[in-house]
Amino acid sequence: MGHGDKGRPSKKTKFSTKDDHSSKFMEDDDNYYNEDAEGDFRDGENLEKKRDFSKLELKPDHLNRPLWACADGRIFLETFSSLYKQAYDFLIAIAEPVCRPESMHEYNLTPHSLYAAVSVGLETETIISVLNKLSKTKLPKEMIDFIHSSTSNYGKVKLVLKKNRYFVESPFPEVLKKLLKDEVISKARITSEAANYGDGFTISKAAGEIATAHDGLLNEAELAAVAEEKETHAFEVDPSQVENVKQRCLPNALNYPMLEEYDFRNDTVNPDLNMELKPHAQPRPYQEKSLSKMFGNGRARSGIIVLPCGAGKSLVGVSAASRIKKSCLCLATNAVSVDQWAFQFKLWSTIQDDQICRFTSDSKERFRGNAGVVVTTYNMVAFGGKRSEESEKIIEEIRNREWGLLLMDEVHVVPAHMFRKVISITKSHCKLGLTATLVREDERITDLNFLIGPKLYEANWLDLVKGGFIANVQCAEVWCPMTKEFFAEYLKKENSKKKQALYVMNPNKFRACEFLIRFHEQQRGDKIIVFADNLFALTEYAMKLRKPMIYGATSHVERTKILEAFKCSRDVNTVFLSKVGDNSIDIPEANVIIQISSHAGSRRQEAQRLGRILRAKGKLEDRMAGGKEEYNAFFYSLVSTDTQEMFYSTKRQQFLIDQGYSFKVITSLPPADTGADLSYHRLDDQLALLSKVLSAGDDAVGLEQLEEDADDIALHKARRSMGSMSAMSGANGMVYMEYSTGQKRYAGQGQLKSNKPKDPAKRHYLFKKRFG
Amino acid sequence: MPQVKIIAKNFMDMVASLTARDLDNLYQNPFICEAILRSLPPLAKKYVLQMLYIEGSVLAKSMEEWVLADGFTKHRVAIDRLVQLRIFSEEKKKETSYRLNPTFQTNLQKHLIYGGALPREPMPSNVTVRLPTLEELEAYALGQWECFLLQLISSAQAEKPTNFSSSMMKVFQRGLLIQRDKESPRLSESGFQFLLMDTSAQLWYIIREYISNSQERGVNQADLISFLLELSFHVAGEAYNVNTLSELQKNMIKDFADLGLVKLQQGRKDSWFIPTKLATSLSISLTDSSSRKEGFVVVETNFRIYAYSTSKLHCEILRLFSRIEYQLPNLIVGAITKESLYNAFDNGITADQIIAFLQQNAHPRVAERVPSVPENVCDQIRLWESDLNRVEATPAYFYDEFPSRDVFEAACDYARDRSGLLWEDSKKMRLAVKAETHTHMREFLRGQS
Repeated sequence: MGHGDKGRPSKKTKFSTKDDHSSKFMEDDDNYYNEDAEGDFRDGENLEKKRDFSKLELKPDHLNRPLWACADGRIFLETFSSLYKQAYDFLIAIAEPVCRPESMHEYNLTPHSLYAAVSVGLETETIISVLNKLSKTKLPKEMIDFIHSSTSNYGKVKLVLKKNRYFVESPFPEVLKKLLKDEVISKARITSEAANYGDGFTISKAAGEIATAHDGLLNEAELAAVAEEKETHAFEVDPSQVENVKQRCLPNALNYPMLEEYDFRNDTVNPDLNMELKPHAQPRPYQEKSLSKMFGNGRARSGIIVLPCGAGKSLVGVSAASRIKKSCLCLATNAVSVDQWAFQFKLWSTIQDDQICRFTSDSKERFRGNAGVVVTTYNMVAFGGKRSEESEKIIEEIRNREWGLLLMDEVHVVPAHMFRKVISITKSHCKLGLTATLVREDERITDLNFLIGPKLYEANWLDLVKGGFIANVQCAEVWCPMTKEFFAEYLKKENSKKKQALYVMNPNKFRACEFLIRFHEQQRGDKIIVFADNLFALTEYAMKLRKPMIYGATSHVERTKILEAFKCSRDVNTVFLSKVGDNSIDIPEANVIIQISSHAGSRRQEAQRLGRILRAKGKLEDRMAGGKEEYNAFFYSLVSTDTQEMFYSTKRQQFLIDQGYSFKVITSLPPADTGADLSYHRLDDQLALLSKVLSAGDDAVGLEQLEEDADDIALHKARRSMGSMSAMSGANGMVYMEYSTGQKRYAGQGQLKSNKPKDPAKRHYLFKKRFG
Repeated sequence: MPQVKIIAKNFMDMVASLTARDLDNLYQNPFICEAILRSLPPLAKKYVLQMLYIEGSVLAKSMEEWVLADGFTKHRVAIDRLVQLRIFSEEKKKETSYRLNPTFQTNLQKHLIYGGALPREPMPSNVTVRLPTLEELEAYALGQWECFLLQLISSAQAEKPTNFSSSMMKVFQRGLLIQRDKESPRLSESGFQFLLMDTSAQLWYIIREYISNSQERGVNQADLISFLLELSFHVAGEAYNVNTLSELQKNMIKDFADLGLVKLQQGRKDSWFIPTKLATSLSISLTDSSSRKEGFVVVETNFRIYAYSTSKLHCEILRLFSRIEYQLPNLIVGAITKESLYNAFDNGITADQIIAFLQQNAHPRVAERVPSVPENVCDQIRLWESDLNRVEATPAYFYDEFPSRDVFEAACDYARDRSGLLWEDSKKMRLAVKAETHTHMREFLRGQS
């Protein structure tokens, strides 16, 4: 969220990225959006056909084995099996988790996931034999063939950075030859002038290298000679083309995915950075595990580690940096989180203050010595416009340096083209991406596979909750019926652009929100974040309830001040945030989230927002299952019934539901017999609010635009096309009022008969209500 | 709503509906006397035992003194039941008095003194070489039952045809399937509900149909009932010689084999039948749920269903309200979706039935968990159902073009008085009334002009 970098530079970024971008990519993007206008459906949802694998042969001792494997790559894992832990670790390495609720997990075997498996050192035969051991049935032949065909080529080609130059390496020259037949790769190849004498690839022994270049290949004799020395063959590629080469090598193209490993211990060229983890930094078991995946064979692998928010991603990042002990470039999404990362580095490691520096539009520090850590934002690096002299110097330094580790935070938010730019500017031996949610509505996640590397580790949310590492959140969807008047306007064609404003400003929603704030502030003493994407609503709510708010245009100084007050003051217990609060602003004190408006069907936003309150609070033993504060965090999503919001809300929750969370539906807030003291109790007030909404300009009630978030665009385009033209005709400013007596609630969402709760005594008062 | 007739309450209700002569015949058999005694409500049981050795009748008044005042309703129920079953006969001379049915009395006395002897003994094990174990027998019984059910709901699905004639099958299907012209028959509302019931309730329904249809096949209902009750006193897993059966019973036993009540085996010389648990538990009252079989369904918070089952029938049942996605050798994977539920609701299945089915069949892994079906899933199923009931259609008549405001208002008042006014728009002078008010309204308006 580049607003930390102040308004101007980020505005320019928007233009500059467009200019920089080759038109080819732009076309790509457009096609993409058109095809996938509805792209945020889960791909499996349209496949109605059932798959019948009942003819598979059960092994006689199938009861003791934990999983079923289907011919189409789907794997089902019983979590109550005695072999669950082993099976889980194995499956997470070779397959993509689809959903992980309590009793049964589902995984998908994909070429990408197998690529990740090979890159963490698993071999084809190992994968098959372990899978076979764990499977209740004989492995379907299709699956064995699939594993063979997807992995036979994996691990044969490596991408190596040496002295600021990129080389494609392989022990098999015939593979390189095959790669070079590809147009993209052969164009990307750099033929060095010094290489007139040989007729083959660069042949390297150990760390040494011989620069040769010619389009011919090694002849038989030479091959025989080098074979016994276990030499690798290599050719150099243009740094700016590295990403394209990598993409061509992926499973869906040439199918020789490249591994990126960094033998940092034997790297004598780059200076060491003296940093260690402090003794008090004790990585938790899952952090340990994710690091072991990264450093499995003594080298550093590039890839992505997925941990829920609040589970301690920064410690993993800092640990990785202190193991590699080389210069590290850390990229965050905004200035606030740059500060937080710098703080984390100092907190967990022994790094000297003068070895770490922040590079943002506000602070342009430089580290001393020949190695150090630079923390900056994606925008600062990718920025293509004119820079100040000072930052030009710094960026030049970043450009010229060979980084040991490129640490990238929140990789899910950064658009692919920004990544390409960042990666082509910075040369790094190893790239580590961190994120909590590897989902994007535009399905661009696969891009990350070649831009950064395969997914190395993904934690199971429920396991972390059970272990007390992250807060146990009670999620609830609060259904707010539209008032009669608002709904009438909502249905009118000429209000199509105001639909969102209408369902967000629904007085019943406002009242529910006010009720929840009061309840949590006064009765539980909680700290509350209220999220609203819609700026108009954000302002209206915050003003009416007299609470501080932060949105895109709020200055860095003001933000810091508000957050500080929220942390320390007893009087500031609620803060209103726009989208800027979705990612990386660390507010560890908050334990309640109320979401009043959100971004269409974005699963990622929902998960990220939940992440704001996942940081575990209180004593560990209280948090564990069965402890006295089993639920200590609350996530409320307020939706106006019978509007688009209902549809979106179902989609948004999908990611969290797949992680095993469940949303409880609350149908009557505030409770029927109360609420006279809340705002908009009287019809007059409601109608005044309605006319305010209707008289506001269309642009005022729209969404806040943050240009960094390309994910937005996919959702926007899909929606924009549905807009009606009638609103353009000048009817916008008209105020329409309708008076009628009595407000009828929509019937049918009445009370539900509920079955028994887990343990009524531990229930939150609001949730108790329905079981009375 | 059509009357759902398929909830079989109790075997004894059926017995009670027999004619007086049939009932008296029934009591000739001491086993039936015992079975009936067992099935009685506790207080009724006590009365029977109390009066077992009393010859002659007891005054109703003195019986009333046996109970405390607050037990009077129970007393009434017990007496009614006994009279209904003709165990008590009412004598009204000056005062009402009751006496025990003499046949019943003598047979029960004999039974108490000499113990019961079945008309046939289990066959010695040297004749019957290899009998199935109890587990095998249970699996067989369930297999037979499922096979029968599959044939019942769609004849094409069944792997092997049963012994039942197609006319008999039609009798069973009556009420469960509906056939619109030229279309293949599909399950009716009660058919869906039938499938969601547990096995014993389903068996009941079928047995009841079987019994009530027996007259048409020339079989006496009482004979049938007495044989069924007798069967329930046999020991599950033991072999009994078929030759001990009457011709009539030999015919019946074939049908019972198809339902999984007995297994028929053929030895070198003899043939025998082996009662299964289904048969021996017949006389147990349906409300007794202690003999519940193990469940197989796991429902997750993400609306996915995992059913540990190899049964085609289970698959068909789950398909009633969920989308089946994967079928594995011993697992069925499905998902509850809005569409699949709407489909179920369309077919007349209610949210409560679905939830009850999921709860009753919860896999032991999740059965101890409270709730066994995740709360959010139950809530959502109910919410989706209530969503469908938000709009209510009422047949109505619409009136407009009133000659004057006075007439309009008078009409409104008139309709309101008869609580037939549905909607009015006084600005444009239009109103709508319930269809049943229409005739009165028309009369009224004629009178106005």
